[in-house]
Amino acid sequence: MCGRPLSGRFFAVALCLNVLFGAATARAQVASLDVGSALFLEPSKRSGLTVVNPSAALSVAPNNWLTVRGNYEADIVSGASEALKGGRLSNVDIVTSATHFADTRHAVTGGFTVTRATTHLSGSYTYGTEHDYHSNSLTLSAGTDFLQKNTQIELSYGRGFDKVCTSAYAATDAPSSRLALDNSNGCFTNDKKRAARDISLNNFQVGWTQTWTPEFATQMVLSTALQHGFLGNPYRSVVIAPAGDQALENHPENRARGALGLRGKYYVRSLQTAFTAGGRLYRDTWDIFGQTYELDAERYMLPWLRILARARYYTQSKALFWSDDYTGGEPATGPRGQYWSGDRELSPLSNYLLGGRVLVAREGRPGARVLGLFLSLSGAVGVDFLKTNLRDFTLGGRRPDDTIALLWSLGLRGEL
Amino acid sequence: MTIRTLDYRKMVRAMALAFASLGLLASAGCATVRPEQRAILADPTMQFDAQSAEQAALDHALDNREGSTGGGSVRGGGCGCN
Repeated sequence: MCGRPLSGRFFAVALCLNVLFGAATARAQVASLDVGSALFLEPSKRSGLTVVNPSAALSVAPNNWLTVRGNYEADIVSGASEALKGGRLSNVDIVTSATHFADTRHAVTGGFTVTRATTHLSGSYTYGTEHDYHSNSLTLSAGTDFLQKNTQIELSYGRGFDKVCTSAYAATDAPSSRLALDNSNGCFTNDKKRAARDISLNNFQVGWTQTWTPEFATQMVLSTALQHGFLGNPYRSVVIAPAGDQALENHPENRARGALGLRGKYYVRSLQTAFTAGGRLYRDTWDIFGQTYELDAERYMLPWLRILARARYYTQSKALFWSDDYTGGEPATGPRGQYWSGDRELSPLSNYLLGGRVLVAREGRPGARVLGLFLSLSGAVGVDFLKTNLRDFTLGGRRPDDTIALLWSLGLRGEL
Repeated sequence: MTIRTLDYRKMVRAMALAFASLGLLASAGCATVRPEQRAILADPTMQFDAQSAEQAALDHALDNREGSTGGGSVRGGGCGCN
């Protein structure tokens, strides 16, 4: 149709453009724009961490069965951390080994959702980059509802192909001879002192949401993940001998992870409040067993103002190869075989979180949009306090002081 | 050193039992909420993952401070009116 004589060709081109764009524009229903930022603060006298996480997402529904979206977010990280981990028996100066760092991760996502009467299919691709880490991930998810829409099932699969920068060692080199990075200079270039190592990620998830009564709904989510590749921190060394010998953190190359979450929402009419209670069990092949218990309540204080309060408790056991100190003898603080770690997230720990959110929402009326532009507009401010109890983690015998964190979040969402 | 492997058979059996039990309850008509009864369920406070951007930021922070991940909320609930 698009290859006819000039007048006919002009008409055909106009028709093509109209079919491709005009019809979509004429049927355009809604676009939504989300902008927000989170601020994570973990103060400390010697180390400490600050993460700023701005994000923007645009979602457009050109018709009633298709939604396309794009998203950008960044992690702007700065602070200081101990590049060397020693335990109670290590005779090393951990304090002055804290090094300052700053990096920014950029992540861009594009995706779509096709919606039919009782089903939807979504796909997305995300590319993330920072000085020492590149990531590519694809996600596909599909959902359906049945039994008079009281039952919803959501399946998703994600595949990640990541690369992490490390020092240039050969696979045949003994792990005890491998060195940690001291900076990201030369990463992902031809620098012979640097190497890029693969990380392969597979994530599966099944979610089941069920409404039981007009005030009660539950959700069960089963997640599994398979990780393969370099799973340690390329910057962290661990003291592995009484003489103070140190080597790059050495973790197993494979990790299978599984989590089962169950939560329920119940609306108490007399209190005009929605309560959520939930729990999660987690297990992985590094022998970490985690339990999470959470509770929140959300209530409208005014038709346009609602407040949420939440509490969460988490506890986990240590990884099989975890030890606070790898220089001594078995069993208390001795070596744990071929692996060694300075990662506090692999040590036995617990934490609790208290927080809340205030949300303001305004709906426009026909012919009277909010601020003359939006069909609806909402803004939310949240703050959460996180306190961690590290049961067996020290830095040269000293307990770390960066165990309190504050998370602020700010979000704006408008529908056009 | 041997790294433990998950007992997948037990996990799958427990999951299948849980899903089957709840599925039987749901399909037996114990969970029939008619469309006109969904006013409360349609409210944002009753939807799972209603504030997904804020929840994602919180999950991101917690994932980096804990040894576990997964099992979080997915989209679901609401009025089912689409």
